[in-house]
Amino acid sequence: MKEWKYAIVLLLAGMLLVPGALFAQGAKLKVGFVYVGPIGDDGWTFSHDQGRKYLERTLPYVETTFAESVAEADVERVMEEMIRRGVKVIFATSFGYMDAVLKVAARHPDVIFEHATGFKRAKNVGTYMGKLEEPFYLAGLVAGRMSKKGDIGFVAPVPIPEVIRIVNAFTLGVRETNPKAKVRVVWVNKWFDPAHEREAAQSLLNVGVDLLAHYQDSAATVQLAAQNNVYVVGANFDQSRFGPKVHLTAAVWNWGPLYVEIVRRVRAGTWKSEDILWGMKEGIVALAPLGPMVPTDVRKLVERRKQEIISGKRLVFTGPIKDQSGKVRIPAGKAMRIEELMGMDWFVEGVVGQIPKK
Amino acid sequence: MEWLSETSVLRTLGDVEMEIAALLIPVLTAAVRAGTPVLYATLGEIFAERSGVLNLGVEGMMLVGALMAFVVTHMTGIPWLGVLAALLAGGLVSLIHGLLSITLRANQVVSGLALTIFGTGLSGFLGKRYIGVPAESFRPFPLPVLNDLPVLGPVLFRQDILVYLTYLLIPLASWVLYRTRWGLYIRAVGEHPEAADAMGVNVEGVRYACVTLGGMLAGLGGAYLSTAYTAMWIENMTAGRGWIAVALVIFATWDPLRAMGGAYLFGGVNALQLHVQAMGSALPTYLLLMTPYLFTIVVLILATRETARKRLGAPAALSIPYTRSG
Amino acid sequence: MWKVWIVLRPALSLLLAFTVGAAFLAIAGLNPIKAYVVMLEGPFGSWWGVTETVVKATPLILTSLAVLLPAKMQLWNIGAEGQLHLGAIGATWVALFFPFRQEPQWVIPLMITAGFVAGALWAGIPGVLRAYLNVNEVITTLMLNYVAVLWVDYLIYGPWKDPVSLGFPLTPLFPGSARFPTIPGTRIHLGLLLGLVGVFLVSLILGRTRWGFEIRVIGDNPSAARYAGMNLAKNILLTMVVAGGLAGLAGVGEVAAIQGRLQRGISPGYGYTAILVAWLARLNPWATVLVSFLLGGLLLGGDSLQIAMGVPVSVVYLLQGLIFFFVLGGDALMRSNGVAK
Repeated sequence: MKEWKYAIVLLLAGMLLVPGALFAQGAKLKVGFVYVGPIGDDGWTFSHDQGRKYLERTLPYVETTFAESVAEADVERVMEEMIRRGVKVIFATSFGYMDAVLKVAARHPDVIFEHATGFKRAKNVGTYMGKLEEPFYLAGLVAGRMSKKGDIGFVAPVPIPEVIRIVNAFTLGVRETNPKAKVRVVWVNKWFDPAHEREAAQSLLNVGVDLLAHYQDSAATVQLAAQNNVYVVGANFDQSRFGPKVHLTAAVWNWGPLYVEIVRRVRAGTWKSEDILWGMKEGIVALAPLGPMVPTDVRKLVERRKQEIISGKRLVFTGPIKDQSGKVRIPAGKAMRIEELMGMDWFVEGVVGQIPKK
Repeated sequence: MEWLSETSVLRTLGDVEMEIAALLIPVLTAAVRAGTPVLYATLGEIFAERSGVLNLGVEGMMLVGALMAFVVTHMTGIPWLGVLAALLAGGLVSLIHGLLSITLRANQVVSGLALTIFGTGLSGFLGKRYIGVPAESFRPFPLPVLNDLPVLGPVLFRQDILVYLTYLLIPLASWVLYRTRWGLYIRAVGEHPEAADAMGVNVEGVRYACVTLGGMLAGLGGAYLSTAYTAMWIENMTAGRGWIAVALVIFATWDPLRAMGGAYLFGGVNALQLHVQAMGSALPTYLLLMTPYLFTIVVLILATRETARKRLGAPAALSIPYTRSG
Repeated sequence: MWKVWIVLRPALSLLLAFTVGAAFLAIAGLNPIKAYVVMLEGPFGSWWGVTETVVKATPLILTSLAVLLPAKMQLWNIGAEGQLHLGAIGATWVALFFPFRQEPQWVIPLMITAGFVAGALWAGIPGVLRAYLNVNEVITTLMLNYVAVLWVDYLIYGPWKDPVSLGFPLTPLFPGSARFPTIPGTRIHLGLLLGLVGVFLVSLILGRTRWGFEIRVIGDNPSAARYAGMNLAKNILLTMVVAGGLAGLAGVGEVAAIQGRLQRGISPGYGYTAILVAWLARLNPWATVLVSFLLGGLLLGGDSLQIAMGVPVSVVYLLQGLIFFFVLGGDALMRSNGVAK
């Protein structure tokens, strides 16, 4: 008869545990993040992980999980497994995840997906991105004034629209304060490889640039600029600690508020699939504090333009904008449409370098 | 102000060629700098393989070295202590491979690959707190008198001290390998361990020494990346240089001096590619990006004829564990 | 008694691996027991997990054959990764440009053929260089990996870019007739069948044919082979070409089943993991199936560990490295004591 006793004890224990487990799951909203690089890239993935931590700190009912260094080949399974482990909201933070997100989303209509940088949506799939081109445009204003020769170098990762847009916005800013200036682009073809990034920046110095900017994950470009006493514009974070004397400013990511807002909407039941494109106004991107070397008149100009952008009076890509061949692409007074911006595949006048084409 | 007067952004090829000539010195300078971390790792692997042990864990050992060098430099502010830490750490992790492949006679391919995975993980795990933190670093240090030499001065003698160290280390390694008793033992153990054993050479001892040396030098190569090339720690910051080193060992036919040539060649073509882009050339980007790899193959084909003539080949006992018979 | 040891030694070495791993996990502030449960339960604890492990094993089987076959004659094919990418390019070319509307049933056979041929040609370059100019294949195959990935970059950023992808580096999605069939309810696809057929053929070639005999003789003793009148150059080239073709098939599966188009990141280093698989399988074609499955499970378990317990990927790598060390060490101990053979 001993077995019976055990069985009863087990049954009782089970009855106690099961509702407990259900309750525990119901209490917390599980949010999953999928990263393409390691969190330790000190760039893109790191910035999203900062956002994840901010989300967990801000909303007590949220529990987050993540998977880093997830290749496109693995992402479908990783998201499936997250869902199997109770995740209800998934942030997929790389463009290459697009098809997998849509496939998994179709199988799980009760789960909300948010895909960064993408353009395909579904009933339970939204897309989001930040307009880093706004702070980069402002940084360009500073760079145009601070470069004596008007010859500026840009260390760029890979030729996708996001990066092209950033290089263009930066160049528009540069040429606003120095209409004759040019911006030379070198493609590293990788998001991070500090030594190679440094070499790319060095090659730009060797052909005569006197100011550097970059959109790589690491701060290698900033360090090289500091060593050579050349002004530099940082990316992703305030990178002034890598070169306090030369760091003019940086275009900075701040994903936290967006993640909080999206999860709040999901919780409140007001979430709907849309394309979220936030900028400086919403605080998803920002300009790092200007370095002490930046003169007052430039500070004033930057501040004025910043307010115009935040108030919506000024859009970075407003005509007249010419391309590299001098052809007018955006007529005066016209602003570029979102779709044109999202698929930008040409450089503005003043950029030296090329986008790989057919 | 000639730069500013240019209206056209695209240049013709003729201009590019002229500028390449003007950029010869910067490109060669970059070649030496970019080649140095790979050169350290290659030199280390040459010793390991000369003794008959293939170690595919170079990438992992470099990463561990890079991390430890950065951590110690960050804590003490003294890059030399960082280098010391990298030597130590690289040597220590290489002992895992030594234990498995020499004492336990396990498969060297698997053990080496496992070491790379392990080293990537270990460095990433221990390095979490050091991401985005600045530290001291080795700075360029022009050597007096020598740096005034035409061409050679800027290319070779306006580098940092870890680069100069290779100028001493490479000839030293050659001398040790070909002119000393130790070198003879190493080569004997790698070519014909039975004979070496019969001569009274401690086969396992020599192999352990070479594998450890290999690990230390790989660690030093990593240290170069995190304390001289840049002053930072980032996960996977070696970005495949360990594999290039493994390939360069063969390219160099297990010879230190040739390794120097190979490392500089690889670094140089990479630097050239970047400079051509920086000048605004109209050459297709992807073709440019492929050049370092294609060029390596072409040079290898040309070099193979000579190698064959001189009968330079892999150590005969490479990757074969030694078991004393009888 | 020695039979017991055969089971006990690997178990013991695994136990050791897990003990040391547990120490690391504990340092990382995690419950080791829970971590191990998650690692096993992810890939093997459910039907879904098992099918996903099979999906992961599929390209590993094919690429490890591409390492194994040349290794039998002491050739080092480090290039399975590049050959996989070429296979993907070949298959994509057919999927995008073959006028299949009339006869869709030919698309998949053509993709498979094109992927095989593309991988074979790519491996043929180091093959020819090694066979006729004696150029070391380790470097050429490794360098061609980088070139192959850049070639994919070139195609997806340039001529093959999807016109509606807003400038992002992707080819258009393949039409339905260019997608591999799958077992309903799973992602297990035709590639698995290709892999198993590949294993069967390779073991047949090695064990039963004149060619296989020559491969083994050349591997054991090249000068003896030459005395016996065997054509070294021809054998080297043929072996490399077939190996490249097999790796190419892995690429076909990745674009035709997993992605549905060509893009970046189609292979998280399958061609390199394959080297590990081939040697862990002791160059035995049938063993690659089992090893691929187990290794696939280990990789999946790593992802599970991240998702379920918030473990950084670095700890996963660390653990995987340790497991290899101890399995290898235990295995070596066993052999050195002479109990296995």
